[in-house]
Amino acid sequence: MTAVFGIFLLTLLVITAVAIVRTRNLFVATMLMGIASLLIAANFFVLDAADVALTEAAVGAGISTVLFLSALALTSDEEKAGSSRRILSFLVVAAAALVVIYATFDKPKFGDPEAPVQAHVAPWYIEKTPEFIDIPNIVTAVLGSYRAYDTLGEVFVVFTAGIGVMFLLSYRRAGHTPTSRAPDPGLRHHLIPRVLGRFLIPFILLFGLYVQFHGEYGPGGGFQAGAIIAAAVILYALLEGEERALQVLSRRVLMGLVAGGAILYSAVGFAGLLLGGNFLDYSVLASDPVKGQQYGIILIEAGVGMTVTGVLLSIFHAFAAREQ
Amino acid sequence: MYYVVTIATFLTMALALIRAILGPSVYDRVLAVNMFGTKTVLLLSVIAFLYGRPDFLDLALAYALINFIGVLAVLEFFRARVARREAENREGA
Repeated sequence: MTAVFGIFLLTLLVITAVAIVRTRNLFVATMLMGIASLLIAANFFVLDAADVALTEAAVGAGISTVLFLSALALTSDEEKAGSSRRILSFLVVAAAALVVIYATFDKPKFGDPEAPVQAHVAPWYIEKTPEFIDIPNIVTAVLGSYRAYDTLGEVFVVFTAGIGVMFLLSYRRAGHTPTSRAPDPGLRHHLIPRVLGRFLIPFILLFGLYVQFHGEYGPGGGFQAGAIIAAAVILYALLEGEERALQVLSRRVLMGLVAGGAILYSAVGFAGLLLGGNFLDYSVLASDPVKGQQYGIILIEAGVGMTVTGVLLSIFHAFAAREQ
Repeated sequence: MYYVVTIATFLTMALALIRAILGPSVYDRVLAVNMFGTKTVLLLSVIAFLYGRPDFLDLALAYALINFIGVLAVLEFFRARVARREAENREGA
């Protein structure tokens, strides 16, 4: 049954993708991108990958749509008409697609117990996690502890990407002074969104904290929580105007979050070194190695959440500042 | 029972997708995307029970909250654009 669900969702995804490529109107493309993200997230969910589905929902359907719209506000609605290289790019894409399709013939069947992914380290993770870390969500155990180096790398990638985007967006042409305009009221004068939104913001924040600190027991963790908390602040910015949101969380605080998260993560690694273990080996953080592992995971997840929240909000504000 | 609901949800998703692609007006598409998000929330809830893992309802909750922000962002986008056009017209006149 999973296969049927998956095939249906992926068929819709292909139709959506073709429609995105064919449309000339960028707003329509943005809306369809939202649908594509929901489809792929639903497909992840059908395949039982709840953690990835949560990330895709929070980042793909939520924040990406907001950022695409912010970018769209800076440009025109219609895509520029045809470039002469269309046939060449079509050929390259078609050749790449054929190679990928050819490669899938060698892949193991869906759900094959002999597939390399099931036979490599996965059984070891499933067998040893209760003994070493004792948390029910093995995805978090792999992400936070066994493969903590990779996650540290990811945090630095997010950090670097955020710095890069802000660097590009804060560039202004020489002699161009930003026109001072009256502060944008946002949706402040619209009663229904305002009342409903204000009512929802605390719940979204609470849910974000729940995803952050419940990541060891259910789907979630720092990446998802960071995106959800950023979404709550963006909602506040939409309702009250961007300046008000900057008063709550100023650029300095955001920069502190961006850098502080990455530093917190590395500091946990160095704390392990100082206490006589390996880099990012949490077992030495407490007298009981299992407790040490759990403390370590909570700390690095907090670092991940801080960096992701900071980067997403900084990018949002950088777009908004560019509009003025 | 769950299967019937799942298939009905799939059908509604396909219908919403058709509306989103065909348009013709912007509001059709905005509504279609909103509808699609709602259907995804329903689909996740049904499949969570179908697979016997009701704790995955967390995800449906996240989708519902995120969907709301997306729609508000679209509204704000149009409001800001109308406001900017009016300001430009005033400067031009």
